[in-house]
This record gives sequence, structure tokens and C-alpha cells, in this order.
Amino acid sequence: MNNMITTSHLTKKYKSFTAVSDVSLHIRKGRIYGFLGPNGAGKSTTMKMLLGLTAPTKGSFTINGKHFPEDRLAILKEIGSFIESSSFYANLTGRENLDIIRRILDLPENAVDDALELVGLTAFGDRLAKKYSLGMKQRLGLAEALIGRPPILILDEPTNGLDPSGIHEIRNLIKSLPALYDCTVLISSHMLSEIEIIADDIGILNHGRLLFEGELNELRQYAMNRSFAADNLEDMFLSMIEQDNASRKQRTKL
Amino acid sequence: MKILIIELKKEKRSGIILLMFAIGILGAAYAFLNFAVRKEALLSLSLAPMTILLTQLYGMMMTLNLFGIIVAACMIYSMEFKDCAVKKMYMLPVHVPAMYLCKFLILTVLLSIAITLQDLALTKIGITNLPRGSFELHTLIRFALYAFITAMPVLSFMLFIASRFENMWIPLSIGIAGFLSGMALGVPKIGLFLADPFVIMLKPAVSMSTRLDVSVIAIAIVETLLFLASGLWTSAHIHYE
Repeated sequence: MNNMITTSHLTKKYKSFTAVSDVSLHIRKGRIYGFLGPNGAGKSTTMKMLLGLTAPTKGSFTINGKHFPEDRLAILKEIGSFIESSSFYANLTGRENLDIIRRILDLPENAVDDALELVGLTAFGDRLAKKYSLGMKQRLGLAEALIGRPPILILDEPTNGLDPSGIHEIRNLIKSLPALYDCTVLISSHMLSEIEIIADDIGILNHGRLLFEGELNELRQYAMNRSFAADNLEDMFLSMIEQDNASRKQRTKL
Repeated sequence: MKILIIELKKEKRSGIILLMFAIGILGAAYAFLNFAVRKEALLSLSLAPMTILLTQLYGMMMTLNLFGIIVAACMIYSMEFKDCAVKKMYMLPVHVPAMYLCKFLILTVLLSIAITLQDLALTKIGITNLPRGSFELHTLIRFALYAFITAMPVLSFMLFIASRFENMWIPLSIGIAGFLSGMALGVPKIGLFLADPFVIMLKPAVSMSTRLDVSVIAIAIVETLLFLASGLWTSAHIHYE
């Protein structure tokens, strides 16, 4: 199978706390990979490691056949990312913020307009970013990730702060991306219904450990085999997390 | 060059360029005003006219430059930390130490512009107000370079400190504490105090002659390079989280 991102026993420890433990992910090319987990499960930390924002304590990963940290710059050139919240220069307009990224990535000038159009921010491109509403800031963050249409997208909670119609619009945009220009998407979200709609593959993380990885129907099968509720992703997810938490408690007692 | 252009674009509407120009113009205006009001008193001092021109006005100009450097260094990194803009830079194929070096260069050029504006005012005063034949352009240029070199350790130190703290008030407080330490330790001739970059910057201001102190220049260059190297190393090796 052609994997775009592969992690091998990825671990991140902060003193005595293990945020990510032995996580081995296999994210296939041209697919949308939904990364699920409760708060503090280690989703953002894993994504930060893939982007070089934090160094792994143990383990390694390859992205599009390139190794980190040796190929850091080459890897980052291929990734569009959005982590936790949008990042921008408040003293610049949306267009100027995107122009800075365009220059870094050596993209043609029309890449800025393309990115603004993709996220529906064209009309507000010349407004100062500090004057944007929360939803517009999220869209700017997404435009920063999408500029130049990178082959890999790493999106951490990209619909946070958007209104229902904005969520619908961005969800449809993300879902359409692999068909639009053959990209691979790693997306995390608390909104299980959202992941259920857009993701091809699922990874479930709890307390830093990967509980499941596979396609949605494999997850359904997995849930049924263990007598979990398998009606929808939310039920399967909650059952899996509950059981893992219970077994952790048991282990702690012993 | 690409990174330098990007860094200059980031400064748009940040106020840093305006601030440093204002520092230069304010320093020049102070020199004109001071000499206009106190001309007779200044020229009656038992010092050479060039010494009066350079040492009697430098104290206030140095203070302006010092606060300009402190505020500009804080601002140049505050806009990176505000709304996590620097996080995006770490997620892009950017050589982060190059970004730091460009910020250092921008501040250095802005400081040199401020000092040049102030020295242009001194040149004008020297030509029009000093006794005929006593104005020496080469002495003024030498002293301006001395003032610039001795200001560089503070610039290098403040940029390093500003790059390490997300809360702008911390480097700003360190800068003010540094200024006070310079005021307290600047006058005694104890070599160890020269380790404080603020003391180095104050040296031309507390001197009663236009003679350059070679050991001060040497220490200033070493400190500038040391703080610059520290900034480059930390930006390359300490991860943004």
C-alpha cells in the first residue's frame, strides 16, 4: 500500500507524562484520515511532531518517503497545516499574510487569490487580519494551509469557531480536496459526525495510545466483534474509549 | 535575500520603522533645541568645542536610542508571538535562524539611520555654532561610529531576550532594568561591569573626551557577536511548542 505518512513507534514524553505512546500510523496517499480522540489524547502532539514543532522522544516517521529531521525543509514544502488555531500577523491584511507564505513557498502570485477563493475569503482579503471575526480567522488559517494546493494537509480541528453553514462549507471543501488535486489529508476533530462524513480511514487515540486504525467499515466490524455499539461512529468511539479507560483503571489498581 | 524581503514586509504597519525614525528625529531636535537654549553656557565650558558638541549632547541621545532599541526589539518579536504568527513560520520551509538574522540586520540598519539623523544635526550645529575652524568632521564620524558600536551589544542582547519571551512585558522590563543597571554601574571604572551591555552603551555618555576606548570597542564587538550567536543557536535548536 502506498503510504504518504508512516510513523513508527512515535512517542512523546513530557517528564513523567507520556502524551503519545508508541503510535504507528499508516496514512495512505489520496485518502482522508480522520484522527479521533478525547481531549488530551495526543492528537495535536502527534500532528506537531509531524510538523517538527516538537521533537519525538522516541520513534520516527517518514512523509512522502522523506525522513525527519534530515529532510525537514523538503517535507514542510509539501505540507499545508493548520494546528489548533489560525496563525497570522495581526498588522497585515489576509492577502498580505498569504503573500508572505507564497513568497516562502516560491509560489506564483495567483496562488494567493486561489487560496482566498477556496475558503470563500476573497471579499475580505484586503481587510486587516486583526479585524477578522473568529470564523474569518479560521478561514484565513485554512487558506494558509491550502495555498499552493500542497500534496499533504495536516488539519487540527479546522472547523472550530465556524458557524453551522461555515462548518458545512469547509467540510465539503475538505472532502472534495483529494478529488480536486490528489492530496492526502490528516484531520482531527471532536465532531465525530463530521469525521464520519468526510474520512476514508480512521485512527482512534486515547491517553496517547492508538486503539484502532483502519477503514470505517473495519471499525464497524471491530466494534461488533467486541460487542460494542456499532450504529454510528460516535457510539463506537465512546464504547472503545470507555473500555480502554476501564482497563487502564484496572491496570492501575493492580 | 528572500527572507530579508519577507521580514521587511512583515514590518508593514508594525510601527518599528516609524519608531526608529522618530528616535533619530527626536534626538536631532533635542540637539538643536539644547544648543539653541544653552549655547553660551555650553561654549563657556573649559573643554574643546568638539568635545562639548559630542559629549554634552550625547547623554540624552543615547537614552533615546536605548529606549528605541528596547521597544523596537520587543515589538519585532511581539508581532511574531501575537496570534501565534511565529508558529506558522516553524511549520513552513523557513530557515528560522535566517529569519532571526534578518531581524537583527533590520534593527541594525534602523539604529544606524537614527544615529545618522542625530549626527547630521550635530554636523549642522558644529558648522554653524562652533567657533570658526573648530569643527572636525572626522572626529564626529569617529565618535558616531563609537556610539554605534557601543550600542550594538544592547541591540543584540534585547533581540535575543525578546525572541525568548512570548509576553512582551518581560523583555521590556528586562530592558528597563538593564537601563537602570547601566546608570548605576556606568560611572565606576570597574572592568567587570563592562560585561553588562547597558554599561557599554553608556560609556561614551559618561566620558568627558571624544577619545575612543579601544577596550570598550573590543568588548562591545565580542558581546554583540556572543548575543547574536546565542539568538541564532536558540532559534535553530529550541523547538516552538
